[in-house]
Amino acid sequence: MSLPCGIRNHSYAQDMAIVRTRTQWGMMLGFLVLLFTAPLYLSSYWLGVFNFIGISIIAATGLNILTGFCGQLSIGHAGFIAVGAYTSGILTTRFELPFLVGLICAGLMAGLIGIIFGLPSIRVKGFYLAITTIAAQFIIMWVIQQWDWTGGQLGMTVPFASIGGYAFRSGQSQFYLIFVITVLCVFLAKNLVRTRVGRAFIAIRDNDLAAEVMGVNLTYYKLLAFFIGCFLAGIAGSLFAHWNISLTPEQFSFKDSILYVGIIIIGGLGTSVGPILGVLFIRLLKEVLTIYLVPFLENTLTMLPSGFASGVTPMLFGLVIVLFLILEPRGIAHRWNLFKASYRLWPFSY
Amino acid sequence: MKARFKQIFKYTLWALFATIIFFIIFLCVKSTDFLQFTITGLSVGMVYALIALGFVLVWKASSVANLALGQIVLISSWFSYSMLEQAGLPAYIGLPIVVIFALFLGWVIERFALRPLIAQPILSLIAVTLGVGYFLEGLITFIWPLSTAALPSLFPKEVIHIGSAVISQEYLWVIGICLLVFLSLVFFFRYHRMGIAMRATADDQIAVQACGIPVTRVFSTSWMFACVVAAIGGVLISSIGSISHGLVETGLKAFSVVILGGLDSFVGAMVAGPVIGLAETYGGGYLTEYLWAGVRDVIPFIIIIIVMVIKPFGLFGEERIERI
Repeated sequence: MSLPCGIRNHSYAQDMAIVRTRTQWGMMLGFLVLLFTAPLYLSSYWLGVFNFIGISIIAATGLNILTGFCGQLSIGHAGFIAVGAYTSGILTTRFELPFLVGLICAGLMAGLIGIIFGLPSIRVKGFYLAITTIAAQFIIMWVIQQWDWTGGQLGMTVPFASIGGYAFRSGQSQFYLIFVITVLCVFLAKNLVRTRVGRAFIAIRDNDLAAEVMGVNLTYYKLLAFFIGCFLAGIAGSLFAHWNISLTPEQFSFKDSILYVGIIIIGGLGTSVGPILGVLFIRLLKEVLTIYLVPFLENTLTMLPSGFASGVTPMLFGLVIVLFLILEPRGIAHRWNLFKASYRLWPFSY
Repeated sequence: MKARFKQIFKYTLWALFATIIFFIIFLCVKSTDFLQFTITGLSVGMVYALIALGFVLVWKASSVANLALGQIVLISSWFSYSMLEQAGLPAYIGLPIVVIFALFLGWVIERFALRPLIAQPILSLIAVTLGVGYFLEGLITFIWPLSTAALPSLFPKEVIHIGSAVISQEYLWVIGICLLVFLSLVFFFRYHRMGIAMRATADDQIAVQACGIPVTRVFSTSWMFACVVAAIGGVLISSIGSISHGLVETGLKAFSVVILGGLDSFVGAMVAGPVIGLAETYGGGYLTEYLWAGVRDVIPFIIIIIVMVIKPFGLFGEERIERI
């Protein structure tokens, strides 16, 4: 479907390959080289931004599996990220376990909590499920705010990530840690949706009753989607905890949950590149706004009210979500595919 | 056999309900704390019911789940603050302006965010209201950067003594106004042309179109009404307490009312509102000693989860049977 002119598949292995042609291999390797040498030419501020982008990509990929592929809308994703972050934080500070154990346990714990709050999905869907996940967000955040192990409103301090005695303190080393895990997660997600499980998810999204009639075990696959989505959220949370080293409940607000839904819609629901493009778009838009646009406007227009700087970002985010839904519901991923098709077929577009 | 079981189940439920009511009345007579909690819970619950009515209105007419409800409540409270406190208008001029503002807000949201998305999948409809909510939240911090503010008192301040309990008069006013709004909505839906058209649209959209009723106008009217009802709820609840960001959460708590009462039932919202309000205040009053602080604020969300597992379509909601 997306092969250059003159390339034919002669075997099933070729048909299933993610990277098919030499040019694609070259571009893929070039991209990876560019990605992993990025710390050399990024300033420490932008390195921080990209670290956060990597973490967000993991979380958004999880939400994309749950919402984009399996069709179970979750507006409590920040809550599940918080579960992962605090699990990892508590395990590494209170029990002094190594970081890798904390990382895996964070994923499993978030997945478990995800299954518990995903249980209503067996009976309800659509709006009902959205409300359930909102409730999950508030209940999780209430527990975190009140429990003394999590430090309550004041939050807690978490050590830097360390593997085998090497602590990831500098921005560069964290960049490598975060992006190795991000690339792994994106690769796993890409492959997951091409398997039997992924096809079951898509069948459930398109019509769950029809899927059940075809023999897809709805209970199992819906809960599996919740587990995988929240597992990735937990991994992202754990990385966030050991990257940011201080955790407070405000970092996982309901607004962030909405923003994650917005991210996967802007990127493109049910596509593998969607979450990446969505996260890049939203996070870079925020940086452009806070670094360039807001100071510029504040200097040129002195009449602005004092809430301008903090209010303009959410306003624009909301506007972008609404505009994308109205004008391009298939997201940036669709535009990206159109772009790829146009250069692949250039100059003979037939 | 099954029908018989259902009947028995129904009678048991009613019996349980009656016992609980008798128990509440009994306790009201016995303890003063309890009476106070009851009145507070009832009035807060009535406000929740009003906000929930705003949701049910939109859901019935156009099957759109309005998740921006909390932000609509908050922005209309802030707007009333601007009118009454900053511009210094008297209540009889300021509050009608707030109502007009709410009408306008509803019209704008329907016209520019939801009209282009008619007949889209439910996920986009939910997401677009989330986007609208996000936008409104930014707008609120943009225009009103304060963190909290208080409305000037709208109701007389004198307290009322019932038995040995001391009750602030505003709670009773709030209950009264909520009942009035509910009654006027009932009459509107029963006798007004537009109300009848709205009920018909909820019933069968294609038939309504065939009758020559402009469905888009029904949608936009339902949004305008929903915003007005939410604005009234917002002004009432912020005149009891204060205006702060927590009102967004109040709007979200109204969803527990909607879920418990059933998505498409006005009566359900009016019954479930006080139930949620009472559960919240009793829980806050009696459980805080045994549990963590702030338990009051999560009780509605816990109720949502419980209802979802036991009876997802609520007490009065219509159970939809799906076909492939």
